[in-house]
Amino acid sequence: MTEFDTDRGSLNAGLAIAGLLAGSVLLLAAGRAPANGHRNGRAAALPPRRSSRKRPTVVAARRLNRAAGVLAASVLADSSVEHYRGSFKNKAMYTPLIVSASTLATSLHGTADARPAAHWFRDATYLTAAVSGLIGTGFHIYNVGKKVGGFSWQNFFYGAPIGAPMAILLSGLLGFCSERVRESRKGTRPEIFQLPAGRTMAAVIGAGLLGTSGEAGLLHFRGAFHNPFMLLPVTLPPLGAALLGRAALAGPGQQHRATRWWMRVLAAMGFAGVGLHAYGVSRNMGGWRNWSQNILNGPPLPAPPSFAGLALAGLAALELMEDHPDA
Amino acid sequence: MSDNPQHTPRARRGRAPDVFRPGGWVPMREYGEDETVDFAIVGTGAGGGTLACKLAEYGFSVVAFDAGPYFRPLEDFASDESEQTKLYWTDDRIVDGANPLQLGSNNSGKAVGGSTVHFAMVSLRFRPEWFKSRSLLGYGADWPLDWREMWNYYREVEQALKIAGPVNYPWGPPRPRYPYRAHPLNAAARVLAKGCEALGIGWTETPLATLSAPRGLAHPCVYRGFCVAGCSTNAKQSALVTWIPRALAAGAEIRDLAMVGRVEVDAAGRATGVHFHRDGTWHFQRARHVVVAGYAIETPRLLLNSTNGQFPDGLANSSGLVGENLMAQSNQAVWGLMDQEIRSYKGPPSLAITEHWNYEDKGKDFFGGYSYMSQGPLPQLWANTQMAARGLWGARLMSDMQNYNHVAGLKIVGEMLPQENNRVTLADEVDQFGLRIPRVTYSWCDNDKRLIAHALKFMTQALEEADARDIWTQEDDTCHLNGTARMGSDPARSVVNADCRSWDIPNLWICDGSVFPTVGGANPSLTIQAIACRTADRIRDLAGRGELDQPARRRYAAQTAQ
Repeated sequence: MTEFDTDRGSLNAGLAIAGLLAGSVLLLAAGRAPANGHRNGRAAALPPRRSSRKRPTVVAARRLNRAAGVLAASVLADSSVEHYRGSFKNKAMYTPLIVSASTLATSLHGTADARPAAHWFRDATYLTAAVSGLIGTGFHIYNVGKKVGGFSWQNFFYGAPIGAPMAILLSGLLGFCSERVRESRKGTRPEIFQLPAGRTMAAVIGAGLLGTSGEAGLLHFRGAFHNPFMLLPVTLPPLGAALLGRAALAGPGQQHRATRWWMRVLAAMGFAGVGLHAYGVSRNMGGWRNWSQNILNGPPLPAPPSFAGLALAGLAALELMEDHPDA
Repeated sequence: MSDNPQHTPRARRGRAPDVFRPGGWVPMREYGEDETVDFAIVGTGAGGGTLACKLAEYGFSVVAFDAGPYFRPLEDFASDESEQTKLYWTDDRIVDGANPLQLGSNNSGKAVGGSTVHFAMVSLRFRPEWFKSRSLLGYGADWPLDWREMWNYYREVEQALKIAGPVNYPWGPPRPRYPYRAHPLNAAARVLAKGCEALGIGWTETPLATLSAPRGLAHPCVYRGFCVAGCSTNAKQSALVTWIPRALAAGAEIRDLAMVGRVEVDAAGRATGVHFHRDGTWHFQRARHVVVAGYAIETPRLLLNSTNGQFPDGLANSSGLVGENLMAQSNQAVWGLMDQEIRSYKGPPSLAITEHWNYEDKGKDFFGGYSYMSQGPLPQLWANTQMAARGLWGARLMSDMQNYNHVAGLKIVGEMLPQENNRVTLADEVDQFGLRIPRVTYSWCDNDKRLIAHALKFMTQALEEADARDIWTQEDDTCHLNGTARMGSDPARSVVNADCRSWDIPNLWICDGSVFPTVGGANPSLTIQAIACRTADRIRDLAGRGELDQPARRRYAAQTAQ
């Protein structure tokens, strides 16, 4: 906490809840989406617009939309709570709310869309998200650096979190990649910037896992790793990143079964992290009875699902590599 | 029965308050008065509370007495400065000398947990050279302790209190990482930082004994800001919520509202127990060893009040030094107004510190050192300060109080030199128990004055560099009391040895800030606790070798003969 704002109104609570609700809606949608496009052909939850529902590139693209959406929901809820806590002191602090909400809506659209063509609006939104993530990172770095003490532990701990805007950048990148995969022509290698799509995404997602792990590491170090569970997000995701890196470098025809399982573990960790953070909130003065203050003071509830978003994207990339060994 | 802890003892009938659960109790072992316990400890603060815990955990039977109440912080502590004066020792005392001390607030404590219940939580290690300040720095007296050994005990205490400190400490030899991370700086702390950076000296987050992450049933600090009026959330790691619960769990008994008035010594010159007043009458507790841990005024007072035919000048006083070399620490401040809101009451009062002038010896015209810290005076204290230091009253005071949210200040903890004329003696007047009250005599020496002048000048510059305006100095304030029963290597020039054991009475120990030969420019609580941990280890080791009953003086003679 940077400003010792202890005079909390009830609005904060409303905003926090709104952020969490948005996340829940996405997760529900995400839960339904894979059935729609799954290659096992389970009953569709949303009516397909084209008959290409089983085309692997479209399946992969929709999974990536879903992953981008999970990340965007995490950002929407997290930036709502944290920037509310910062009293939206700078008008620019509304940006991630607007961008992540748009990205979330776009991702829902993409998840539901079974057509094998990119959509210019989705592309535009995802690119905007990526750019705003970069600009946001710049803003956060500026915020840390301008405080007395400069780039010190104190300011990295309690200034604007350096890594947080990267989550919306990653969401935008995943969405952008999903559009490139989706528009791949049948019988050709899915590509992103002329690179094999699956492997490129595996590398990007691996880097994203490392960065997110770094962010969790910094903040859990701030909390002195007082609970052993706080070690999970600094140990499991780097292993996942290594596995994804290996997958990115491996030749065609590999199964990557362990990597897929590891992505499922990371997704579970991401969602379970909300529960652990809820427990963390309860350990502040007044516990959940004092929720309007402790949601702001305690560990951020919406943060851990960003791991789940990346892990789901990793799964999508691995499945694409399986369906398109050269991807 | 009344549950007012100031009137009715709470620790009795086999249970003591559970400070972590409203209305809760924890089991407590009780000892009969005729039962001779291994240790009767007088005082439960930084010295006595720590020692009670450690000795009980080592398997000794322990009864620890405190004249104050057994508070339940979650229920008994109000966000009200006046109400919380109940934490202070405000019994009658006489002060005199050229610079009489103001007693009865920040330099006193009357509660289970002692003054750690309301201390500012600043947990500093001593500069290593201070343990040999006479030999290495040319002033004061050498301690009979080695800093490297103390470094290990500091670590033990820092771990026990989960001190929240900076990742890297800028001064002194390397120290292990603080168990918890530093707290966020408030605006007052950033003013200190800005001044230091402008003047090119180091600063850091103050290592504090308040939690920055959860610990068991204690929550992280909520930055309520009432720290020095008693923490109502248990984030503050006082002896009351750290050592004392451990002591109880290990089988120690705590006797609250139990004023010890006299240590009994038999014809053989050995302490046999303590007389204490509880429930309206005097009692006697038998003990194999007595530890006096009443801090720098009550400790010499008890020793001086325990005279008998064999010890007509008081116990442990063959050197004549009991009560002498009282050392306060200078606590002068510089205050100014900032254009932006500061609201210095938010969070712990001293979140940032510079120990530059503790570790830098060049550019000084005085012996010793000082640190200075950011400040967060609560409104009533602030009004008192304006009145006492500036003589403001009436409309002028009202008008200046309007600036409260824009005030920033820097305050030193400065080293004052030991002087035999600064002392605690007994007055002829008696208190409510019929015990002679202490007379506390205090005068600054020229070195003290030079240190203060240096600090005020430097801090004024620092505030100017931080863009403060309307700067003024608060020139008369002191904090922390030490000395009066100094430890040393020579029975003729000290009261206790390095183990805090009396040279004169082999089973009488003194374990609090009284034993400090010098005070340094750092808050003493961490050092008091480190010494208590060391004393406990020494007692365990001596007992293990069967030497606990061997007089310290005989061992000294054997050492000097070698």
